[in-house]
Amino acid sequence: MNLRLKKVLLLSLAAMLLVGVSGVQRSLNRDRERLGLTRIQPLENAPPVLAFTTVALGGFRGLISNALWIRASDLQDEDKFFEMAQLADWITKLEPHFVQVWLVQAWNMAYNISVKFKDFNDRWRWVSRGVELLRDEGLKYNPNETLIYRELGWFFQHKMGQNLDDASMYYKQQWANEMAVIFNKKKPDLEELIHPQTPDQKERARLLREKYKMDPEFMKQVDQRYGPLEWRLPEAHAIYWAARGLKVAQQDPDKIPKKDDLITLRRVIYQSMQLSFQRGKLVANPFASAFEFGPNLDIIPKVSAAYEQAADEDEPNRDHILRGHRNFLRDAIYFLYSHNRVSDAAYWYKYNATHYPDRPILDGKTNSFPKNLTLDEYAVGRVQEDISETSRDRVKSAIEGLIVNAYRSLVLDEDERYAGFKLLARQVWNAYMDKIPKERIAAIGLTPLADVDSEMLNRLLDPEKGVSPQERAVLRTKLGLKEEKVPPPAPTASTNALPQKVSANQ
Amino acid sequence: MQRIFAIAWLTWKAAFRFRLFLVVAGLLLASVVLLPLLIKDDGTARGFTQILLTYTLTTISALLGISTLWLACGTLARDIEECQMQVVAVKPIARWQIWLGKWIGLMSLNAALLALSGGSVYALLQWRATRLPPEQQEVLRREVLVARGSARMQKPDAEIELETENQLRERLQKNPITQADLNEVRKQIREQLKAELQIVGPNNPKQWQIDLGAVKNLPRDRPLQLRVKFNAADQSTTGTFTGLWAIGSPTKTPIVRLEPMSLAPDTFHEFDIPPNFDEQGKLTITFFNANNRALLFPLEDGIEVLYREGTFALNYARGLAIIFCWMSLLAALGLAAASFLSFPVAAFVALSVMVLVLSSGTLSNAVSEGTIANYNAEKGTKGFTPADVVVIPVFKAVLTVINLAKNFSPIDSLSTGRSITWSQLGLAGGQIILLLGGILAAFGMSVFTRRELATAQGTQ
Repeated sequence: MNLRLKKVLLLSLAAMLLVGVSGVQRSLNRDRERLGLTRIQPLENAPPVLAFTTVALGGFRGLISNALWIRASDLQDEDKFFEMAQLADWITKLEPHFVQVWLVQAWNMAYNISVKFKDFNDRWRWVSRGVELLRDEGLKYNPNETLIYRELGWFFQHKMGQNLDDASMYYKQQWANEMAVIFNKKKPDLEELIHPQTPDQKERARLLREKYKMDPEFMKQVDQRYGPLEWRLPEAHAIYWAARGLKVAQQDPDKIPKKDDLITLRRVIYQSMQLSFQRGKLVANPFASAFEFGPNLDIIPKVSAAYEQAADEDEPNRDHILRGHRNFLRDAIYFLYSHNRVSDAAYWYKYNATHYPDRPILDGKTNSFPKNLTLDEYAVGRVQEDISETSRDRVKSAIEGLIVNAYRSLVLDEDERYAGFKLLARQVWNAYMDKIPKERIAAIGLTPLADVDSEMLNRLLDPEKGVSPQERAVLRTKLGLKEEKVPPPAPTASTNALPQKVSANQ
Repeated sequence: MQRIFAIAWLTWKAAFRFRLFLVVAGLLLASVVLLPLLIKDDGTARGFTQILLTYTLTTISALLGISTLWLACGTLARDIEECQMQVVAVKPIARWQIWLGKWIGLMSLNAALLALSGGSVYALLQWRATRLPPEQQEVLRREVLVARGSARMQKPDAEIELETENQLRERLQKNPITQADLNEVRKQIREQLKAELQIVGPNNPKQWQIDLGAVKNLPRDRPLQLRVKFNAADQSTTGTFTGLWAIGSPTKTPIVRLEPMSLAPDTFHEFDIPPNFDEQGKLTITFFNANNRALLFPLEDGIEVLYREGTFALNYARGLAIIFCWMSLLAALGLAAASFLSFPVAAFVALSVMVLVLSSGTLSNAVSEGTIANYNAEKGTKGFTPADVVVIPVFKAVLTVINLAKNFSPIDSLSTGRSITWSQLGLAGGQIILLLGGILAAFGMSVFTRRELATAQGTQ
C-alpha cells in the first residue's frame, strides 16, 4: 500500500475513534458518577490557580497533600495552630472532590483545635473556620455531597447548639449577634429578605446570600415545614442545612444517595427540632443586655410529627427514636403546663397516653402509667423528681425558685410563663402539704404560699440586694404596686461619686 | 589576606556576571512581598505575624540554601572545568587560599542577601504592626515581637534518686528480692516519687515555686506569662478541665487569683500573670484542681514562666545569624564536593546530603524504635532485621552529626517570641561553622591542594 495513503487511512481511523470515544465518554462519565466509581470529576467554580494546579500536578497531588497533612499533624502535636488554616486550605484544594478530606479538616478545626484555646473568642474563631470551610469552600466544589450538608448541620446542632463545650453559650451568643445583623436586630422577617425594598434590606439580603450562603426563600420553606424557627439560634441553621442536603439528594437523581446519609440528615432535623423546642426562643433581656433562652412551644406538633416520620423511615432504630419521642412528649407536657397552657398540656398528655399507655411517665416510678396520674399530678411529680418528698427545705427551696422564675418571666413580658410557674408553685406546695401527716404539719409544714410569695417578691424589690432599678420598676408596674421611694441624695456631698445603689449595678 | 580577598572579590564578580545575585535577590524580595498576599492566617494579628515570620524566613533559608549550594559547586568545579582555575593556580597563591577565598566570597554574598531579605521582612513586620489597633499591637509586642526568656522549676533529680535508694533499701530489708527484679523495683519507686511531684489530686491544690533569678531586678510593670501543660488520665465530657490559679506567696507578696479557666489537657496554655515574685525572685504559683479527675503536670515542661528578656530586633538579628551559620556550612559542603568532583556530580552529592539532613526525621524514628523493620505503634512491638545491627548505630552517628547543625531552631523561636541567647548563637557558630564547617573545609582544602588541575576534564 502506498505509504501516504496508509498514513491518511490511519489518521482517519484515529479521528473516527476519537469521535466515537467522545460520544461514549459522556455516558461513561455519567455512569461512573452515578455508581460512585470515580472521584475525578470536572472541577467547577475553581479559581484559575486551583484549576491549573489540579490538572498540572495530576496524580502527584495526593503525595503533596499527604506531605502537607503530615506537617499539619506534626504542628498540631506541637500545639502550633497558626498554620493550620493555610494547610487545611492547601490540603482540601489539592483534593477538592475527596469529601472525607473536607470533613476531617473542618472537624479538626471546629472540634479538636478549638478546645485547645482557653479564651472563648479564640475557640469561636476556629469553630467558625470549620463551618466556613464546609459552607464556603467544600460546598462550592461539591454542591451535591450530602455528607457535607450533614456535617455542617451537625456543627450547628452539636458544637454550637449543645452544651458539651464550656464555650457553647458564647458560640450561641456570637451566632445570635451575627444573625442580628442580618435580621436588623429584630425578630427575623424572611419576607423582607426575599423581596428587599430598601437599600438596607438589599444589603442584608446580599449578606445572607453571599456570606452565609443561605437562600431566604428556602429558609421560608424550612420555616413553614419545620417551624416557626428562631433563625438567630444554631438549631434553625442545623435544620436548614440538613434540609438543603435532603433537597440536593432528591434533585440529583443521577447519583444514588446512601440510605444512611439520608437517615442521618433526617436525624439532624428531628434532633435539632427537639433542641428548638427546649430552648428555641430568644428572649431579649434589656436589663442584662443579653439574650435568654426559652422553650419554643409552637413547634411541638411538628417536632412530634418529625419523630414519628423518622421512626417510620428508620426501622432499625425505630425503638430508639420512639423512646426519644416519648421523652420529648413528657417534656412538652411539662413545659406547656409550666407556661400556663394547660389545655395544650392536656391534649399532649392524652396523646402520650394513647401512644404510650403502658410506659411509666415519671422516672423511677414503675406505676406512673398515664392512666394512673392526672395532668396536675404529673406536673408536680416532674418537679419532685429531684426533690425528696420528706425534705422540707428542698421543697421550700424549689417553690422559692419557681416563684422567682415567675417574677423574672413577668419582667421579661413572658406573662404565660409567669402564670405557669405560679401554678406549679401552688401545685408543689399542695402536693407536699397533702403528703405529710397532719400531726407533723407544725414541725415540718411549709409556710403559707402567700407568705413565701411575698418574701420572694420583697427580696426581688429590695433596692440593695434585689434586681436592677429598671427591672424593679417593670415589676411594680405589672403588679400594680406603688412606685419605689427614691432616697434623697446624701447630705455629705464631699465627692461627686455616683449613688452607691446605681454604681453597684453597673 | 589580600590574596584571599582577591579570590572573594572574583567570586562576587562571578555571581554578578552570572546574574545569580540579582536573580536570587529578586526571588527573595518577591517572596517577602508575595507571601503575605498568598498565605491564609488564623485570623489574628498574632497568628498572621507568626505565619509570616515562619513562611518568609523558611523561604529565604530554602532559596539561599539552594543557591549557595549551587554557586559553591559551580564556582569551583566550573572554574576547573573551564580551565580558569589553572590560570589562577599558577599565580603566587596557595590552593587553600583559593578555597578559603571562595568560601569567604560566598559567605559575604550570603550575608548581603540575608541582610537584604531579612531586613525587608523586619521592615514589613514593623510596618504591618503599626497598622493594627493598639490592643493588637500590645499583644504582638508582648507575645511575638519580643525576646522572652523562661524559668522552670528545678527538676529534683538528685532528691528523687536519693529518696529512691532510701525506699529501695527499706523495701529490701523487709522483702529481699532477686537481682533481676531490683532494677524494675527501683524504676517503680522512682516513677511513684515522680508522680507524687507531678499529680494534683481531685479537689486538691498544688504549689510550685519558680526561681526567676535575675528577673527580680527587672521592672515590675510588665506582666509575666505562665505556660502550662497537663495530662489527664481520662477525658472529661466537655474535653476541658477547670483551672483555678493564684499567683503570689501568702506571707511575702500580694496574691492574685485568676479567673477560672477552661483548659484542654495535653496542650500548652499561655496566659498573663502578675509579677508577684518576692525579693529573692521566687514566684509562687498555686493551682487548685476543681475537677473530679487527677491532673498531671510533667516535671519537664508542665510549668514554665516566660518573661521579657530583650528586644525583638536583637533577637531577630541573632536568628538571622544562625541562618547565616547554616549557609556557611552549605557553602563549605558545596566547595568540598566541588574540590574533587565535576559540577553536576558535586551538585548532586551536595543536594543529596541536604535531602538526607531534611529527612532526618525518618532516621530518628528508626533510632528511637531501634529497628528499620516495621514497628507496631499500637501494640508497642517492633520487628527485627539483621541489618539493624549495623544500620542503627550508623543512623545514630549520622543523626549526632546532623543534630550538631539542626538542633537550633531560630525560626521557631522567633515566631513564638522566645529568646535566642548569645550563648545559643555562640554554640551555633562553634558547632556549625567551626566544627562541621571546619571539617568540611579541611577536607576540601586538602583534596583541592592535592588535585591535579592540568589533567583532561571529563566534561570537555
